[in-house]
Amino acid sequence: MSVHVSDDTRRGPRGQTAFGTLGAVTNHLNSSPARRAVRALALTPAVLLLTAATPALAAAPDTWEKSPSVSALHFLLIVLALPAGLFVLISLLVYVPSLKKGERYQPGLAWRNQPEWFGGPSAGVEAAELQDPAAIEAGADERGGARAQW
Amino acid sequence: MPSGDAFTAAQRRDIDKAIRDAETLCRFEFSVFVGASEGETRPFAERLHAALVAPARSVLVLVDPAARVVEIVTGAQTRRTLDDAEVRLAALTMQTAFAAGDLVGGIKTGVMQLAEHARRPRLLHTEG
Repeated sequence: MSVHVSDDTRRGPRGQTAFGTLGAVTNHLNSSPARRAVRALALTPAVLLLTAATPALAAAPDTWEKSPSVSALHFLLIVLALPAGLFVLISLLVYVPSLKKGERYQPGLAWRNQPEWFGGPSAGVEAAELQDPAAIEAGADERGGARAQW
Repeated sequence: MPSGDAFTAAQRRDIDKAIRDAETLCRFEFSVFVGASEGETRPFAERLHAALVAPARSVLVLVDPAARVVEIVTGAQTRRTLDDAEVRLAALTMQTAFAAGDLVGGIKTGVMQLAEHARRPRLLHTEG
C-alpha cells in the first residue's frame, strides 16, 4: 500500500526536506529615494501639529459668570465635614440593626457579661465547684469531647 | 468584671428551644454554658459536666467568649453513639459561626448538629 506524501514534505535527493533548500530571500534594506520622500511627506502634518501647538490660555472667558470666592470655613466643611458625616451615617446604618437585634457579642472585644448556663443544675456554677476532683479524674478515660478556638 | 447579660430574652428562648429540640431528637441531655471559665477551659468544662444531673448521658458545651474557646464534653454513655470525630465537626461549625460574631446561631446549629449525630443508631450487625 502506498502512502501519499505531499510535495511540501517530500524529501529531496539528499534526504533533506524541501524547506531546507529555500532560494534567495529578498530583504528590502535599501529603499529608493522616492519612497523615503513620500514617507517624510506623510509625517509632516503630525510634526507640524506637535510643534505649532500653543499652550492653552488659563484665563476663563469673560462671558462666564464670576464665581464667588470660597471661604476657608466653607472649604473645610465640604472637604472634611461632609466625608466625616457620611462616615458616621454609614457606621450607624451598619451597627443599628445588630444593636436592635440585641447582639451583645462582637468578636475582638472583651467579654464582660455574666456567665449563663442553659440546662445546668439549679445550683449553677457553685455546683460545679463542689465536685470531687478525684472523681472527675477517674472518669477522664470514659469521657469524650472536642475543643475549638476562634 | 462581669456586668450585663449576654443574651436578650428572645435569644435565651432560642437557645432553650434548640436544647429542647436536641434532647427530643436523641435521648441524651444537653447543656450549654456561655461565659468566662474559671481557670483552664477543659478542667472547668469537665467540672461543669460532672455537676450535671446525669453526666454519663449528657453533652456539655462550654462557650468561652473571653478566651475564644469552645469545649464540648460528652459522657461515657453518650460517647458510644457520638464519637469524638463527630463532636469535632460540631465544634468546627460553632467555631466558624463564633468567629463571625454569631454567638446564638453558632450555639443553635452546633447543638442541633450534635443531636443529629447522636441520634444515628449504631449498626450492630456490622460488628464481628
